[in-house]
Amino acid sequence: MSSAELGQIAVNALLLSGILALVALGFSLVWGIMNIVNLSHGAFIVLGAYLTFWMYAIWKIDPFVSIPISMAVMFGLGYLIQRSLINQVIRAPLLATFLLTFGLEILIVNLINYFFKADTRSVQPAYSGTGFTLGPVRVPYIRLGALFVSLALVLALGAFLNRSRLGRAIRATGMDLDAARLSGVKVATIYGLTFAIGAALAGAAGSLLSTQVAFDPNLGGPYTQRAFVICVLGGLGNVVNVLIGAALYAVIEVVVGSRLPALSQAVTFGILVLLLIVRPQGIAGKGFY
Amino acid sequence: MKKSATLLALAFWMAAACALAADTIVFGAAISITGKTAKEGEYTRDGYQFAIDKINELGGIKVGGKTYKLEMKYYDDETKPERTAQLIEKLINEDKVNLILGPYGSSPTGTAAPICERYKIPMVEANGSAESIFSKGYKYTFMILSPAKLYLRGIIDAVRSKDPKVKTVAILGENESFSKEVAGGAAEYAKEKGLSVVYDELYPTNAQDVSALLTAIKGKNADIILGSGHLQDSLLIVKQSKDLGVSPKAMGFSVGPSSPEFRANLGKSADYIFGATQWTEALKYNGDDPWKTPKAFGDAFRAKHPNYKSIPYQVAESAVAVIAYQKAIEKAASLDPTKVRDALAAIDVMTYYGKVKFDSRGVNIYKPMAAEQYQPDGNKYTVWPADVAEKPPLYPMPAWDKR
Amino acid sequence: MPKPLRFLLFAVILAGLLFLPRVVSPYKLLTYTTVLCLALMAQGWNFIGGYTGYAAFGNVAFFGIGAYTTGLLMLSKWQLPFFAAAPAGALLAAIVATAIGLPVLRLKGHYFAIATLGVAEALRQIAATWDSLTQGATGIDLPVRSDSSFFYYVALALVVVGLVVTALLERSKLGYGWVAIREDQDAARMLGINTTLFKVLAFALSAVFAALAGAIVAYQNIHVAPDDFFKVEYTLRMIIACIIGGTGSVWGPVLGAAVYQLLSTYVWSHFIELHPTVLGLIIIFFIVFLPRGLMDLFRRLARPGPKGRRIWRDLLLANVRASRVQ
Repeated sequence: MSSAELGQIAVNALLLSGILALVALGFSLVWGIMNIVNLSHGAFIVLGAYLTFWMYAIWKIDPFVSIPISMAVMFGLGYLIQRSLINQVIRAPLLATFLLTFGLEILIVNLINYFFKADTRSVQPAYSGTGFTLGPVRVPYIRLGALFVSLALVLALGAFLNRSRLGRAIRATGMDLDAARLSGVKVATIYGLTFAIGAALAGAAGSLLSTQVAFDPNLGGPYTQRAFVICVLGGLGNVVNVLIGAALYAVIEVVVGSRLPALSQAVTFGILVLLLIVRPQGIAGKGFY
Repeated sequence: MKKSATLLALAFWMAAACALAADTIVFGAAISITGKTAKEGEYTRDGYQFAIDKINELGGIKVGGKTYKLEMKYYDDETKPERTAQLIEKLINEDKVNLILGPYGSSPTGTAAPICERYKIPMVEANGSAESIFSKGYKYTFMILSPAKLYLRGIIDAVRSKDPKVKTVAILGENESFSKEVAGGAAEYAKEKGLSVVYDELYPTNAQDVSALLTAIKGKNADIILGSGHLQDSLLIVKQSKDLGVSPKAMGFSVGPSSPEFRANLGKSADYIFGATQWTEALKYNGDDPWKTPKAFGDAFRAKHPNYKSIPYQVAESAVAVIAYQKAIEKAASLDPTKVRDALAAIDVMTYYGKVKFDSRGVNIYKPMAAEQYQPDGNKYTVWPADVAEKPPLYPMPAWDKR
Repeated sequence: MPKPLRFLLFAVILAGLLFLPRVVSPYKLLTYTTVLCLALMAQGWNFIGGYTGYAAFGNVAFFGIGAYTTGLLMLSKWQLPFFAAAPAGALLAAIVATAIGLPVLRLKGHYFAIATLGVAEALRQIAATWDSLTQGATGIDLPVRSDSSFFYYVALALVVVGLVVTALLERSKLGYGWVAIREDQDAARMLGINTTLFKVLAFALSAVFAALAGAIVAYQNIHVAPDDFFKVEYTLRMIIACIIGGTGSVWGPVLGAAVYQLLSTYVWSHFIELHPTVLGLIIIFFIVFLPRGLMDLFRRLARPGPKGRRIWRDLLLANVRASRVQ
């Protein structure tokens, strides 16, 4: 492998890890705080992608500018779904929320398919495909922008969870539900907000993805799977772990993709299973927020 | 809405058929109206329906003194091959259709073929070009389109006609039956013509990211990059090539460019890209069918479906499947499935789509593939074979950042 | 219901089921065979997911192993008949389950689920890339068999065997051990139960059932390809069937499979474009209101006590009241 190829692979991995971190961020939050593996995470990603697509197609809103809007919409939707539906079974055995979110995903994706049709869409602003070259390596602007946005959101979430009152309430609820309730925290609201934040972050990821891939209603599933693996790789616990997990996963995917593309998932899952057996709390994690 | 109009039309025909009591020939089909290949499935259904409507318009099919109208009963297989199998069973056993029209795609066709074989009902399939379907000795399935391994030949030939010294090829294929054969056929043909294949890898179906593969290809500096997958894959490869600055002298895809969605999604990035095509309106066939020439077919289809600017080849090849059945039924003078099957095996006719004739396996090896190219003036032209080309191919492709 | 009456009822139902192929169209028979195969898979999953409480999310791996092994053996130079190839597939699946189970069954909860899911996905890709063995993505075609009643009878026989096996095991030391593991694994271990052995047995048993179902579906479908036979939908169907019917019971999986498949077929023919939405709603309904399934509902309805509308509302909302957070 030439140094040019190596360099490009490294850059690809870096850029990929940015967006993957954002994809996994909301998933990790919901899992860590509420102990819910949200199989409908992918559906929120797709919705975010479609929102950005329509905003661009109808009002010519730049995709990056559309991110706060799609986040706000997904926040509302996530809150609604959590309070009305997921909250009803939240203390049931884990299989319940697993399957519930799975049912939810089927529903949402099919509705998207029904209303928006299965056509392939993508968002192509004028600057798509442009980039700059660092020697033999090429860095596309859109991917770089996505990396910055992702990092910004990751850091923002970290700051929110650590410094703000609400953030700490969320973490407290995640650590010890009864103690939190006893100290006056309205658990149902907290759970609703946590899920809503998770959905908003998924929406942001979707908005960014709409500029990078040509998508259809089935965009979300593979990203939910990736979010799984990233959370296991990095461990739950804090946002830095998500970054670590995403970076590791991006490297694995890029390296495997360049050598054994047809077996990429098999290798990734093989590593995942091995890791789970050897170190289930993830490379750096402590298992909780 | 187009859909409710079709449903209404179908309902009307079914009611009319009931009223006329059994003077209809019903074709059954399981097509991907939703799912990954939804767009291509729509083209297939529209093609079938177009031919059926035309034949009915012209008076139907005469079998042994009686005139029959045609009708199609179809279901959505959601691009899920096992759904296709289930639906074909339903169509044959419950809906009691007379004959089967193929689904879209080689994988669904591969699951439908054995079922038609089991019940001895013929299937003329117009959208599944993997030859592997025909290696099992099934007698009841017929492939009207050119097989997979011929797909990329036209593009390779077109490039070589502009640059006989072109040296290297990189091939990226989706890991599924049809695309694998296309990739394999392309590699074989390239080698035959003295090119060296510097990269030949398969990526998993539904891949969202091929930048790793493209990075490897960039390192090999291939002159031509050929992609073998479906529409979504071709879009992904072009976008990511642009992102990574991978600028070969020519780029071509087996599936994707012939669809209007290609230009719609890529805009100017689609310029200079080649697409393999089974058929275009520019070709000069003169056939024994209701339209006779490709251009006439195109005009007639556009008259009925004004939102189509250019006609995807899936429409043309689906319609000709119905024509093939018409010829076979008339020749057999019977609706008995085995007699129709035998007539199909012996068919030899020129149509607006090209020659329709099947070899002993049931494959139409008698029609060549063509190639198209998107050019900077905004249109897509047929560029190969040279004697029917609308315009010569443009070569080489300027680098992404130099446009 | 008194015992002799119950046996009579079973006998009548069984006779009816045996007679079915003669009165029904081949397509309807196909649907019933699908129900039976789903019931078979659900019965298997019931051992590991229901009785033992380990939510395995990758049992389609064994389904696929059963399908491919059967197919490849039937197509091989020995041309094994179906009744030899299918058990071979089941055996292989059990071996693979044991090999995977030993390390993976040490994980708990979500991690176990994800690990098993990962195994199934990895196998799918391996089947798609191992061209020399499986023909890769192109798939293989088994010999064509025209009499649909064959598949029906084989599936029916296996489901009946499954019922008997489940009933016997439920009341055996193994069954009690499983429930003990589900309720409190540490206590079970301290009581001297070899939890590893019991868990692996449950897992291997679930693999056998899934593999046999895979063999039947493969033979019936003729065409076997990785994306069709290793897809996560099969796992989800078997789990949902168990949930609808009631996990940890003898009749639950069969009842659930019947209800699910019939609902699914009905929905599919009436709401073609929106049927996944309706299915999603059904899944959500059961998870929220009837998580212990229909068997449990029937049991509670059969109990003495006040009847009428109130009991329905109480029954349905019981889960929500217990599981929600205020």
